[in-house]
Amino acid sequence: MGDPLDPSDYTVDELREELETVETADELESVLEAERTSKNRKTALEAIRNRLDDLGVPEAEAIEEDTDTEGEYLEAGGEPPFDPAEFDIAELGPKLKDVEDIDALRALLDAEESGENRDSVVTLVESRIDKLSESEVEGEVDPTELSVAELGNAVQNVDEVETLEAILDAEESGENRETAKNLIQSRIESVSGGEREEAEAAVPPEEKHPDLDHPTADKRHVRALEDGTYGDMWVYCETQAGALIDVSREMLGKARELIDGYNDDYDADERVVAVLVGDDVEKHAEECIACGADVVVYHEDDRLDRFQHKAYTEIFCDMARWGGDPGEGNPGEADWRDYDEPRYVVFPATNNGRDLSAQVQAELDSGLASDCSGLFIEDAVISNPVKTGQPGTNKTFERVLHMKRPDFSGFEYSTILCLDNPNREFHPQGASVIPGSFELPDPDPDLEGEVVEHDVALDDDWFRVEVTEFDQLEAGVDLTGHDVIVAMGRGIGADPTRGMELAVDLADCFEDAEIGVTRGIVTGSYNFEGHVEQYTQEERQIGETGQVVEPDLYVAAGISGAVQHKVGMDESDTIVAINTDPEARIRDFSDYFIEGDLFEVLPRLIDAIETGELDLGAVTDGGRDASETTASDEGDTHE
Amino acid sequence: MSDEHEHYEAVVVGAGPGGAAAAAALANYGVETLVLERGVDAGSKNVSGGLIYAEESAPYTIDDLFPDFREEASERPVTEYYLHNVAGDKVKTVDITDLHEHDTEWSDSVLRRRMDSWLAERVHEMTRETGGGLLTDVRVNGLLREGGEIVGVTCDEVDPIRADLVVAADGVNSELARDAGLMDWEDPEEWFQGVKAVVDMPPEVVADRFDVGEDEGVAHLFSGDLFEDVRGGGFLYTNEDSVSIGTVFHLNSLVAERAEPHELLDALLTHPLLAQWLGDDYEEREYSAKLVPDSKKVALKEPHEGRLVVVGDAAGQMQAQGPIIKGMNHAVSAGALAAEAFAEAKSRDDPSSAGRRYAKKLRSEGVMKKLRPPQYRAVSALGERDAVTNVVDGVLTSGVGRTAIKALSGQLDRLFGSPFLTSMVPDTRTSYVTLPTIIAEELGTPVREESTVEPPTLADRIGDLTYDTDIGNPHIRLVDNSVDASGAAVSACPVSAQDFGGGCYREETVTSNGDEERVVSLDTQPCVECGTCAVVADTEWEHPRGGKGVEFREG
Repeated sequence: MGDPLDPSDYTVDELREELETVETADELESVLEAERTSKNRKTALEAIRNRLDDLGVPEAEAIEEDTDTEGEYLEAGGEPPFDPAEFDIAELGPKLKDVEDIDALRALLDAEESGENRDSVVTLVESRIDKLSESEVEGEVDPTELSVAELGNAVQNVDEVETLEAILDAEESGENRETAKNLIQSRIESVSGGEREEAEAAVPPEEKHPDLDHPTADKRHVRALEDGTYGDMWVYCETQAGALIDVSREMLGKARELIDGYNDDYDADERVVAVLVGDDVEKHAEECIACGADVVVYHEDDRLDRFQHKAYTEIFCDMARWGGDPGEGNPGEADWRDYDEPRYVVFPATNNGRDLSAQVQAELDSGLASDCSGLFIEDAVISNPVKTGQPGTNKTFERVLHMKRPDFSGFEYSTILCLDNPNREFHPQGASVIPGSFELPDPDPDLEGEVVEHDVALDDDWFRVEVTEFDQLEAGVDLTGHDVIVAMGRGIGADPTRGMELAVDLADCFEDAEIGVTRGIVTGSYNFEGHVEQYTQEERQIGETGQVVEPDLYVAAGISGAVQHKVGMDESDTIVAINTDPEARIRDFSDYFIEGDLFEVLPRLIDAIETGELDLGAVTDGGRDASETTASDEGDTHE
Repeated sequence: MSDEHEHYEAVVVGAGPGGAAAAAALANYGVETLVLERGVDAGSKNVSGGLIYAEESAPYTIDDLFPDFREEASERPVTEYYLHNVAGDKVKTVDITDLHEHDTEWSDSVLRRRMDSWLAERVHEMTRETGGGLLTDVRVNGLLREGGEIVGVTCDEVDPIRADLVVAADGVNSELARDAGLMDWEDPEEWFQGVKAVVDMPPEVVADRFDVGEDEGVAHLFSGDLFEDVRGGGFLYTNEDSVSIGTVFHLNSLVAERAEPHELLDALLTHPLLAQWLGDDYEEREYSAKLVPDSKKVALKEPHEGRLVVVGDAAGQMQAQGPIIKGMNHAVSAGALAAEAFAEAKSRDDPSSAGRRYAKKLRSEGVMKKLRPPQYRAVSALGERDAVTNVVDGVLTSGVGRTAIKALSGQLDRLFGSPFLTSMVPDTRTSYVTLPTIIAEELGTPVREESTVEPPTLADRIGDLTYDTDIGNPHIRLVDNSVDASGAAVSACPVSAQDFGGGCYREETVTSNGDEERVVSLDTQPCVECGTCAVVADTEWEHPRGGKGVEFREG
C-alpha cells in the first residue's frame, strides 16, 4: 500500500472505485475517519461502510443475482441527467417521472448498474424505459405489459372502439384481469356512448321490455301520483309484548328535532306523525306525544296482537294513502291531513321493523335506506342525468332526507338519498333506523297532540298466516329492580358451596331479594354443588361486564371491591360490606363495613333478622352517613 | 379464479409501522391495497417503549414514506442519552449519546396511539388512490387456503378476502405467522416482556426537570441491582407532555424468579434516582405491557410462505442488543422492502417470487445483519451457558475483577460507546446485573434524593384502562389449569399477581371429595393482550374480535 487514501480528493463515484483497492479494515476505518472530519458526505460514508461490510464478517448466504436481459442497454451512451447513487429508491421514483428521454434513462441505468446496482432501482428505471418506448409506438397498447393503473391511463388516449375491443381481446386472452377488463369496457362505453345517449322518450318498462315479467305493473295507481303533495314525517312506533320499545321513542325524539329544523328552514308547518298498530295500542298515544309526536294515528284490532307483515303492511299503506290521491281502492277523505302521502317515513331496524319497512316502501313504490344511524334534512345538488333528466346539468332537490348508514363494519358511511325521477316520484323517503342510534328523548307530559283512529275493514285473507305457538326467549336472570341484592365474592373460597348457601338463606329473609356474584366467582375454578351452582353463573354477574343494579340494600360479602365491580352497584341506596380485610377497597364506598369472616358474620346476620332482633328499617333507610360508621362500631352491633 | 370472495392485489394485516410502511409503499407502486386493523383505531392495540429510529444505513425511514411524520406524529427528538448503573443507592452514569447517534439520522420518542392513528389516516388516503383503503375493527383470524396454498385471509367480521400478496404485520403475537407455521409460542428464552407507565407531565415541567428545550428530549436507561436478579433494565423517555417509564425483562428470567412485572416497574419508579424527575405530583396516565421478540434468536431468516410475507414484530424483527432497542425502524424497512419485492415480482410477471425477493432484500440491505448480528453468534455460543456466566461473575465480583473495573474508570463512555462491543454482549446475568452493579459499587456516587412517588396499585391500573369486553366470548382458553402447566402466568402476566383476585390469572384452592388442589383460574377481562401467557402457560390464545378488548389511549 502506498500513501493512505484521502477521500476528499475524490468524488463519491471515484471514491467508490478507489475503495475497491483497499483491502484492510484498519485502512478503511482511517478513510472513514478522514471523510468524517473533512467533507462528511453521507453517500461517501455509506460507500466506505459498505466496503467495510464487504471486508468484515462474510455473509454466510451468497445473494443470488437475477439474470435479466439487461445487456441490450449497455451500449447506450450519453450522460445520465443525474447520479442515481445519490438518491434512495423513494426519491428516485418521482425524479424518474420527469425524465422523458429514453437515452438519458439508459445512461441512468448504466450508471446504476456500474454503481450500486440496486435491484429495485434497476427495475424502476427499466419500467420507465419500457413505458416510454411503448408510448412512442402510437396507438399500440399491449395490456399484458401494463399494470391495471397504467392500462387505465393508456386507454384514455384511445378513441377507436375497434382498437379498444382489440385491447380487450388481448387482455382476455392474456392475464384476463377483471379490473382491467372493466376499465377497457367502461372506456368503450364512454367512447361509443356519445351516440347512444340521445334523450329517450319515457317509455314505461312494460312497453320497453315486453318480453319480461312485470310483477309491479299493477302499481300504476302509485306511479300515477305525478306532482303529488307530500307532508309530515311518519314514525312507525313498534310495540313488543304490549310495551312501546325504546327505539320508537328514540325515533320520535329525532323526528321532533328534524321537523322543528325543517319548519324553520322551509318556513313550513309540518308535523311528526306517530303510527301505532296492534291490539290495545291506543294507550301508548300519550307517551308518543310526550316524546314529540304532533299526531298519533292508531289502528287496533285483537287480530293484530302479534306482528303479521301482510296485515300490518296493508294497514300502514292504507294510513299513508288516506285522504290522498283517490286511486281505486284508496281510502277516502281525511280531515286531519291534506297531502297525498307522507313526505318521510322512519321505521325501527328491528326484525319486525325491517320486514314492515321493506314491504311498505315497495307497496308505496318508493325506496328504502335500511339500517341507518344518522338522519338529516338538507337540499342536495345532483348532476346524475337519471335524476336531472338532462345530462350535463345540475338540479337542486329540496327537503331531501339524508340517510346515513354504516358500511363495512362502520368503517365508512354511505349517505342514501331518495330522489324523484323526472317521470316518476319516489315518496315517501324512507329509512329504517338502528336501535340506539339516537338519544332517548326526555318525555314532556305538557306536549299536546291529536290522536286519530284509523278504521278500515281488515280482510281475512291478510291473516292467512296463523301463529299457532310462540315462545318468549328466556331473558336470563334480571337482577335489577329488586329491593335487596346479596352479592358474593371470592371470600367464599374456603367453602364455596357453604358460602352460596348462606347467600340463599340471607336472601330468603327478605321479601324481594336476589343473589348476585362477582366476576371472580364466575371465572373461578370453584366446584359448587348442584343445588347452588345456578347462583354462580355469568347471568348473575354484577359489574362492568355484568348487570348494573341499584337496590335499596346491597350486601357485599367477601367482595374486595374492584372498580369493575363498583360500577355495577355503587348507586345502591345502602351498601353493607363484609370482609376480613379492613383495607379492602369496598370499604371506601360502603355505608356499613363489617370486618369479619362471612362464614361467621352471615349466620349471625341471618339469625338476627329471623328472630327480629335486627331492625331492618334502620339498615335500609340509608339514613346514616358512612362517615359516622367505623368498622369496629358496626361490627359490634352484630356481635 | 374463484369469484366467490372479494379480491385485492394486496392485503396488509395490521396498521402499525410495518403495515403502514408496506401499505404506503404498495400504494406508491400503484398496487390495490386493503389494510385491516383489529383495533377501534390504529394504535389502540399497540405499545412501544417509545423510541423510533431513522438509521442512516436503512433502505427506508418512516419519514421517507410519511414526510410530515416528525412534525405530526412523534413526541420529542432524543438529544441526550444516558445509561445509569445502579447498586443500592449508588449510581454510575455513563453518557451513551455517541452510541445512540451511531448510524442515527434522527430518533424521536413516540406514543403509539397518536403515531399509529396518524399513520393510518395517511395510509387510508394513499391506499384509496389505488382502489383499496383501511378498515378498523376487523380481526384477521387466519389464512385462506386453496389446495394447501395461501390465497388470502379470513376474518371474524367480514367474508374471506383473496389477495395476491398477504402482508402479516399483525404484531408480536401474529396469528398469521403461527398459522403459516413460521412462529411458535414455546420458548420463554426467545422473548422479552416490557411494561410501561406513561406519566403525565406538562411541557414546562419536562423542560425544567430534564433541562431540555422545546425540541429536545432525553433518554435514560437503568441497569444493575434495581430488579434483584431478574435480567433486564429500565428506561425513561421524555414525550411532549408526559414521560414514558418502563422496564424490559427476559421472559425466562421473569418466570425463573417468579417476579411480578408491575412490582419491578414500581421498583424503578420509586428509586431515589428518579426522584429528581418524578415529583410528588406523580400521575400515571396509562399502564401497558408488551411482549418483545428477541431478533437474535427468532428473527425469521425467510419470513415468507407462498403469498404471505411477514414484517415487523410478527417476523421477530426487534433488535434488542445491549442498551439499544430498535424495532419500529426495522418494521418500516421490512414493510417497504416487502412492497418493493412485490412490485418487482409483479413487473416481472412472477408474483410468487415476492417472498423470496423480500428475504433477499432484507439481507442485501443489511437489515438481517442488524437483526441477527454474526458477532453475537460467535460470543453467545460460549457466553450464555450458566457455568461460564458463573465463572465470569465470580471473576468480576472478586477483588481482581473489581480492580479491573476501577481501572476502567474514565473509559466506560468509550466502552459503552462502541456499537460493535454492545452487539457482542451476551444476554446473561453478567451484562444485565453483575457488571452494572459492580460498576456502580466501585465507581458510583450515592443518590441523596428520596422518592415520594406512590405508584397506583395493580387494581387501579387495570381500573384505569379502557376495555370493550367481548362478553361470553373469551379470547384465551386455559387448556391445562394445573399450577405446574400454567402457574407461571400468575406472576408473569403483567395484569395478574400472586394473592391478587382482580387480574387475569390467579391461583385457587379447590376442594373436591375432600382433596385439596391448587389450580389456576383465568378471567380474560383485564387482559392487555401482551401474549405472555401464550408462552408461559398452556393456553389456546387468540386476539379478541375486532374492536373488542383493551383500548390503549397512549400506547
